[in-house]
Amino acid sequence: MATTPYNYSYIFKYIIIGDMGVGKSCLLHQFTEKKFMADCPHTIGVEFGTRIIEVSGQKIKLQIWDTAGQERFRAVTRSYYRGAAGALMVYDITRRSTYNHLSSWLTDARNLTNPNTVIILIGNKADLEAQRDVTYEEAKQFAEENGLLFLEASAKTGENVEDAFLEAAKKIYQNIQDGSLDLNAAESGVQHKPSAPQGGRLTSEPQPQREGCGC
Amino acid sequence: MDQSVAIQETLAEGEYCLIAVQGVLCEGDSRQSRLLGLVRYRLEHGGQEHALFVYTHRRMAITGDDVSLDQIVPISRDFTLEEVSREGELYILGSDVTVQLDTAELSLVFQLPFGSHTRTFLQEVARACPGFDPSTQDPEFLWLSRYRCSERETEPTTRLGWNSAPGTWPGCARIGGGGPSFEDSRPNGKGLLVDQSSWSQDKPENLLPRQNKSKSEITDMVRSSTITVADKAHILSMQKFGLRDTIVKSHLIQKEEDYTYIQNFRFFVGTYNVNGQSPKECLQPWLSHGVQAPDVYCVGFQELDLSKEAFFFHDTPKEEEWFKAVSEGLYPGTKYAKVKLIRLVGIMLLLYVKQEHAEYISEVEAETVGTGIMGRMGNKGGVAIRFRFHNTSICVVNSHLAAHTEEYERRNQDYKDICSRMQFCQVDPSLPPLTINKHDVILWLGDLNYRIEELDVEKVKKLIEEKAFQTLYAYDQLRAQVAAKAVFEGFSEGELTFQPTYKYDTGSDDWDTSEKCRAPAWCDRVLWKGKNITQLSYQSHMALKTSDHKPVSSVFDIGVRVVNEELYRKTLEEIVRSLDKLENANIPSVSLSRREFCFQNVKFMQLQVESFTIQNGPVPCQFEFINKPDEESYCKRWLNANPSRGFLLPDSIIKIELELFVNKTTATKLNSGEDKIEDILVLHLDRGKDYFLSVSGNYMPSCFGSPIHTLCYMKEPILDLPLETIRHLTLMQLQTEDDGSHLEKPMDIPKELWMMVDYLYRNAIQQEDLFQQPGLRLEFEHIRDCLDTGTIDHLSASNHSVAEALLLFLESLPEPVICYRAYRSCLECSGNLTASNQVITTLPACHRNVFTYLMAFLQELLKNSARNHLDGNILASIFGSLLLRSPAGHQKLETAEKKKAQEFIHQFLCNSP
Repeated sequence: MATTPYNYSYIFKYIIIGDMGVGKSCLLHQFTEKKFMADCPHTIGVEFGTRIIEVSGQKIKLQIWDTAGQERFRAVTRSYYRGAAGALMVYDITRRSTYNHLSSWLTDARNLTNPNTVIILIGNKADLEAQRDVTYEEAKQFAEENGLLFLEASAKTGENVEDAFLEAAKKIYQNIQDGSLDLNAAESGVQHKPSAPQGGRLTSEPQPQREGCGC
Repeated sequence: MDQSVAIQETLAEGEYCLIAVQGVLCEGDSRQSRLLGLVRYRLEHGGQEHALFVYTHRRMAITGDDVSLDQIVPISRDFTLEEVSREGELYILGSDVTVQLDTAELSLVFQLPFGSHTRTFLQEVARACPGFDPSTQDPEFLWLSRYRCSERETEPTTRLGWNSAPGTWPGCARIGGGGPSFEDSRPNGKGLLVDQSSWSQDKPENLLPRQNKSKSEITDMVRSSTITVADKAHILSMQKFGLRDTIVKSHLIQKEEDYTYIQNFRFFVGTYNVNGQSPKECLQPWLSHGVQAPDVYCVGFQELDLSKEAFFFHDTPKEEEWFKAVSEGLYPGTKYAKVKLIRLVGIMLLLYVKQEHAEYISEVEAETVGTGIMGRMGNKGGVAIRFRFHNTSICVVNSHLAAHTEEYERRNQDYKDICSRMQFCQVDPSLPPLTINKHDVILWLGDLNYRIEELDVEKVKKLIEEKAFQTLYAYDQLRAQVAAKAVFEGFSEGELTFQPTYKYDTGSDDWDTSEKCRAPAWCDRVLWKGKNITQLSYQSHMALKTSDHKPVSSVFDIGVRVVNEELYRKTLEEIVRSLDKLENANIPSVSLSRREFCFQNVKFMQLQVESFTIQNGPVPCQFEFINKPDEESYCKRWLNANPSRGFLLPDSIIKIELELFVNKTTATKLNSGEDKIEDILVLHLDRGKDYFLSVSGNYMPSCFGSPIHTLCYMKEPILDLPLETIRHLTLMQLQTEDDGSHLEKPMDIPKELWMMVDYLYRNAIQQEDLFQQPGLRLEFEHIRDCLDTGTIDHLSASNHSVAEALLLFLESLPEPVICYRAYRSCLECSGNLTASNQVITTLPACHRNVFTYLMAFLQELLKNSARNHLDGNILASIFGSLLLRSPAGHQKLETAEKKKAQEFIHQFLCNSP
């Protein structure tokens, strides 16, 4: 017990994407704070949250980037996809339009992340069964066709929220274990506990790496 | 807030300031602001050297004038810059980072501001340090020689004494920077860690200047071979894995009661002075007298071996004999595991636990302290075993203190020496050694040698016979010394209900009958300190007759903290979670008073300002507008944020102004619709969120910035035209020859040009200093509006304002009157009027017309030179640079080129057709 490793050995970067109002920030808040944020304002920008989770006995730090969903910011939010190990693609089960836009979000996610990025599809607002506009089955099929993990969740009740983040982490960890995810690749989105200081390579904490950010 | 630019201005060629940070130099109580710049110098033969330039400065340094060089620290092999923390100080999020800079010559302490900039700075410095590689040349720093004379002599106070005696500092210089000879210093190939620590122990006197540094820090530095980069502010978010561990551990200790419960375990504690004898009888009457098998045995002996061999060679067969005897005497039918045996000459301590408890015993350490001859030898002193049983730390001490009745003060001193000199290493080598007193439970046994005072031998014996132990106890030295707080402070002892254990004739229960006829005394005692300890028995064992002492035993029930695994897990989860929350709460966050900015009816060269405030939250932060991908700047060229970056203290507020100003470079594309008053600014918080600010608005197209041919096709005022028409006409290609493909024949020259020239012709032909006096800004705006709305009749402005508008109009033309492609040929044939005229004929019709029209106008002006004091040279110099513009853009033109352009215009002015 005295030797229990308290600390994390990996950092996974996640991004949350999807149309405006599908509940991306609420999912993040539910996951990090275990609370539902009732009057969540639209995210106009990018927010961060972190939490340490455990997968197969390994402590993993999730560093989650929650992006603005509004179409007009799309060009800017694209720059945040780079280096994500996991992407949570969220739609609202009560609004079909948000589901219809998934292919466009998926295109962005595929184009702007690396091939090993784990994408999980999340149908949010599962508590509003009466207003359901997208069936579980069709979304499941969409996910299968595109090789995505899939869950319906509710940021309000917390149902499946934990799982959504964990399932993706498990898959990423599995990719590391079987060697399909190269940790040394610059864009893997995973940082392993360093055995020795590595100079400037450690600067990628909530610090979007963009050119010209000279401060 | 990179102030490296200011530093760069002061540097010589080849020197480059990589990064700068503003910090506070701490010298004693003095705190002075300094600017630290990391300067790189590229050597001619390749390779590079670095130095840290330290500047005094005024305000936030913007230019080279703001800084003055204080000193230069070459980053040599003996250079180290590392974070230091005061002992016992907990890391505080967001606090300044204290760093210590050491070289062979000086030692400085700086406080650097919290934040990633400081971290980047430290990393850059780390990278600048020369490596261990002995094959590379030592830096020579020849380039710094030019600073030497001007460099202020380092004040003596900043130097440490050891500088003057380099020979006494053999290893330090190598620790941080790594010296080339380092490899050679360990020919046996042993690990650095071992080498380094033994070195630090061997030569403790050399460590004086760095005494505050623990061994582990040194070895850590050796291991990393470079600077330890640590930034407290990033303790949670950074991969400083060890630091987070430390926090978790300290929280776990604080919350110990939440996940542990007290469980009693039976401890047997025994002490026996065996007077150098070998075991001759079974020890069970002493060790196994209780009704229940003890969980833990702590068995101590004194005078195990009185031979000289044992004393000098520390080796004795008695150790094995007594160990065997004890092992055989333990509670029958119960399996015990020996945890530890420790012996100092004749003082031996044995620790056993029931086998099933063995897995809960950890962190076992044993130490000895001799207090005998010369205060060091092992004929007297103590041995101790410390260990952790479940979650409780326990220390068992067996001591043999100084003999003789009158020597009680010596005994007190022995006790104090044992307490102060007994130090146990910790599992975590970075923690200071443990002392006896730092344990939850202390069990102290031994031949403490305190005697009975004031009573003569017969009186003592009589009281014993009467079993008046309480009366006798009043004369006990230990009781008196404890009462006087001279020894064993805080310890407890059970009531003495047994007769003194010293001194008997060996092999009997008879009091000493030798010559000395010693008075009986309770030499052999057991004391304890700590919570949840209940003494069940305290007795001597008369049945054993091997020695001149009788063995003593005490049985305790000791409450030990046992971990409830489930609760422990829960507590750990809670702690980790609270740290996560703390980390999330420490992500900088601000609130913005506005995020949408609408600039309405933006006009050419008319500044519009919208402002908003940034209100910081509880975490200090740096903000900055950052570039979007593939963009050169954080916003469009017509926009500017002021300030565009800065630092915010907790809960502070700052006002940001967004200034929108369309000038000649941005106007054309706004006219054409290729650009719009639309932008998204990304306000980035260092280590934190990003905020998007939307800028929108509409631009009022203007003749300013429109091409000549476009304006020629606009028969109506530009603002009367639909945007689509303006867009179409602005994007229309300039035709060299009118190919007749357009719907309508264009006007010869732009009407706006005509309006201005006509106005001047009518009103300003005799105006003194025309084109040389500045106009008024407000009047310009009026002129612009009149031109763009075609209400020239309403124009009332000073001649100078109209003249300036005309110049501005020409300057704003995206394609100058003399087209870019004709620029070179014009310069070449300047001075040759025929050839020049030839070039003019090659211009597109509208440009040609404009040129001829302007020349005619200027000639008219010259005709009135008596009144307006204009001459050909003045006009040629003004219009030369406007009509002929270099395709190279805004670069500074050579004087010769300017002169040729003037000449070109001049020949048209002075040669009337």
